[in-house]
Amino acid sequence: MLIFWIAVSGCAVFIPSPEDTPTMRIEEQLSPGKQAEPREIASLQLTKQGRMLLENGKVDEAITVLEQALNIHPSNGRNYYYLSEAWLMKNNSLQAKEWNHQAEMYLSDDKYWLKKVLDQKAKIRKQFK
Amino acid sequence: MGQKKRSKTVLLKRILVFTVLGLVIVIIGLALYMWNLSTVIDKRFSARRWSMPSRVYSDSMLLYPGQTVNLKLFYEKLSHLEYRDVSREPEMKGEIYRKGSVLDIYLHDLKTPSKQREGFPVRIVFSDNQIVSIERMDTNQQVPILELEPEEIMLFFGRERERRQLVSINQVPVYLIYAVLAAEDSRFYQHHGVDPRGILRALYTNIRHGGVRQGGSTLTQQLAKNYFLTPERTLRRKFKEFLMAMTMELMYDKNAIFEIYLNEIYFGQKGSIAIHGVGEASYYYFGKPVQGLSLAEAVTIAGLIKSPNHYSPYINPERCKQRRNTILHEIYKNEWITKEERDFALASPVKSVGYTAYGKKAPYFIDYLAGQLPIFYSPEDLASLGLSIYTTIDTQVQMAAERALERGLARLEKANSALRRLEPDKKLQGAVIVMQPKTGYILAMAGGRDYSVSQFNRITQARRQPGSAFKPFVYLTGLSEFTPSSLLSNKPKMYEVAGKLWQPQNTNPVAENGLRLRTALATSDNLATVDLAMKVGLKSIVNTALTFRFSIPMAPLPSLTLGAFEVIPLELARAFCTFAADGVQPYPLSMKAVVDEKGLILEQRHLKIESLISPGEAYIMNSLLRSVVTDGTARSLARRGITFPVAGKTGTTNGYRDAWFVGYTPDILALVWVGFDNGDSVYAEGAVAALPIWAELMKALPRYTSGSWFRKPPDVVTRIICSQSGQLAVKNRCPEPLEEIFLKKNVPTKYCPLHH
Repeated sequence: MLIFWIAVSGCAVFIPSPEDTPTMRIEEQLSPGKQAEPREIASLQLTKQGRMLLENGKVDEAITVLEQALNIHPSNGRNYYYLSEAWLMKNNSLQAKEWNHQAEMYLSDDKYWLKKVLDQKAKIRKQFK
Repeated sequence: MGQKKRSKTVLLKRILVFTVLGLVIVIIGLALYMWNLSTVIDKRFSARRWSMPSRVYSDSMLLYPGQTVNLKLFYEKLSHLEYRDVSREPEMKGEIYRKGSVLDIYLHDLKTPSKQREGFPVRIVFSDNQIVSIERMDTNQQVPILELEPEEIMLFFGRERERRQLVSINQVPVYLIYAVLAAEDSRFYQHHGVDPRGILRALYTNIRHGGVRQGGSTLTQQLAKNYFLTPERTLRRKFKEFLMAMTMELMYDKNAIFEIYLNEIYFGQKGSIAIHGVGEASYYYFGKPVQGLSLAEAVTIAGLIKSPNHYSPYINPERCKQRRNTILHEIYKNEWITKEERDFALASPVKSVGYTAYGKKAPYFIDYLAGQLPIFYSPEDLASLGLSIYTTIDTQVQMAAERALERGLARLEKANSALRRLEPDKKLQGAVIVMQPKTGYILAMAGGRDYSVSQFNRITQARRQPGSAFKPFVYLTGLSEFTPSSLLSNKPKMYEVAGKLWQPQNTNPVAENGLRLRTALATSDNLATVDLAMKVGLKSIVNTALTFRFSIPMAPLPSLTLGAFEVIPLELARAFCTFAADGVQPYPLSMKAVVDEKGLILEQRHLKIESLISPGEAYIMNSLLRSVVTDGTARSLARRGITFPVAGKTGTTNGYRDAWFVGYTPDILALVWVGFDNGDSVYAEGAVAALPIWAELMKALPRYTSGSWFRKPPDVVTRIICSQSGQLAVKNRCPEPLEEIFLKKNVPTKYCPLHH
């Protein structure tokens, strides 16, 4: 029964729909003093969903959602950060590095996120030494 | 007398023996024949039962508050997604109600490779072309982002050109089952494949009415006829049908046979495509899955089986209703529904949803996609496995691209009679590709003016000279040593090439002997470009081209710098994407996922990027190419209504054989080419022939033109320089100082010698 439940639950993947609105974490709120564009707000919704999917181990689904977020707002640096995380989880160092490099460029003004990006960079270097 | 009697007995015995022997032989023969039939039936039923065409879908569309949309294209898209206008609040999936600036939609179910969502009613409020709010009407919740389902853009049909959506008998509402039985074979669950009572009843009815009023065929016989046999009316074929029906009944249970019947039966035509099975029929006639059918709708569908085109609600609603009501009475007579249910259904009007005839959308893109699929799937697989192929195409962008191209070419022909041709395959041609530069998504591809005339894809298959559209790659190569303020020579010069002398010319005379690099690119000055190229080295430029993945080999000749060799337009677009994507080149993506009919993802493609140049170099190139638009050869964009920041490059080849414009923002890139397939002159530059098409396209896509610009990276700095010397400006001395950007490694250190 347990095996059956695991098998069935594996097939029934929960992918949050864009219409779902998961709670925002502190790091997902807009940088203080920043005026939000509508597409930035929309893109961040998808970034959140991508983050949730990564936390649930649904890497391919997360990449799909983060790519959607990128299409809406290509300057959303957090998307690049999570894309790098996703490719790290897929053990693809080349793509992880590329997305991390993009994240660094777009998040260089945000101290909190820049630290995360640099930590990620170190993690990539360490993982693929 | 006795002898006579004995010989009579012997004769009778012999006749009896021969008769019995004959019967035994016939029975054995029949049994063997039925055994052979059972092998055929088993083979067909245990293997794949139907060819299910694979479907190609566009990308889904995301909507959010604050977004600007092209309302005309948006409503066209809703129509293509089979949303129907109603004059009241939507009550069923697929209905829309427009009231001023408010749009109420009852969404269809969403099904993509990675998610499924039940449809729900939603209200979208617009202010002009901008979405103000999106709210669920059932829960009053605000919706921060709404996903509209992908649009079916093509089916890979086999020869049969059939559409069906398979259903299991458990999914079929019981009253649809009753309706089919009442309409076609009420004793299905009593007989064994052939129904002698039914045959006799039909015979009696037909004799009574003096014509064929009723058929005596059972469902099983109909299935045998449709599934296995040819439609000719011969006794032999009828006999085979009897045997086949009886064999099927021996091999399979009633529900299995009924399920196949429900998925096989023909329900009419949608243009050139045949609709088969109750699953597809319920969508075609009522816009809903079979489980959602009401009693009246289910009986309407059952009534079509006898003669779908004769009883179709699209052809004769009154006849359809009469047929429906006849069957309702039959069902009630069999005591399968109550009087109240029957009366309610009788009173219901026949309300079909209407349909859009099938037509191939984005045909050049489909061909490009199909060219990649044979790596994984044969044409037979595509026509039969019922795969779902999800792509990057945005159908609104595709429509805008096709229309802009057709209108632009027509305008050119109208303005210049020398461009007109009588034969359709010799007419002026063009091509457009639209991409999202960061992701590489191909949003639209129009490989020619009219696919029905020419299927040659001028985006992916053509090899054309880019002319000045290649110059950005020369200037990029020069950024290693030169800056936007470096002075280049505009003096006529002779170069030796393979023992011959070559002297480049400017298209239009330029007075200055020297031009700043920025101005030289903006005005597309040939002399200055060649000067730069010779200083940088032609081999370096070839290396740049290789880095940017131009596949056609280039020789290190001076004419290379003016684009006098061939490129594939898709490769040129991809190369420009690198500038728009901060130095990263995306892989052009057309297919996102392939899913089998059970929903299992077979293939998935994600973005792949590769850094080719630094963000600083990309930023400077974007700035230089913006000057092309603000001050250079593409400045006419402003008077064509393009008021948001754009970078771009025009291109014109010798003899005006090719006219190009490639333009982009951080959100979108589009390449337009105009020319004749046979190389005849277009008699116009890129700015005149191609640029207007680009402008018209972009104005139709407010979703993609946010007005944002590129972010300045850390390795780019700003300095004030003297516009005459190109060196650092001396305060209060240089008469025309201006701001210029530099790579940190190349910042000028010397002050202006002219005004020092």
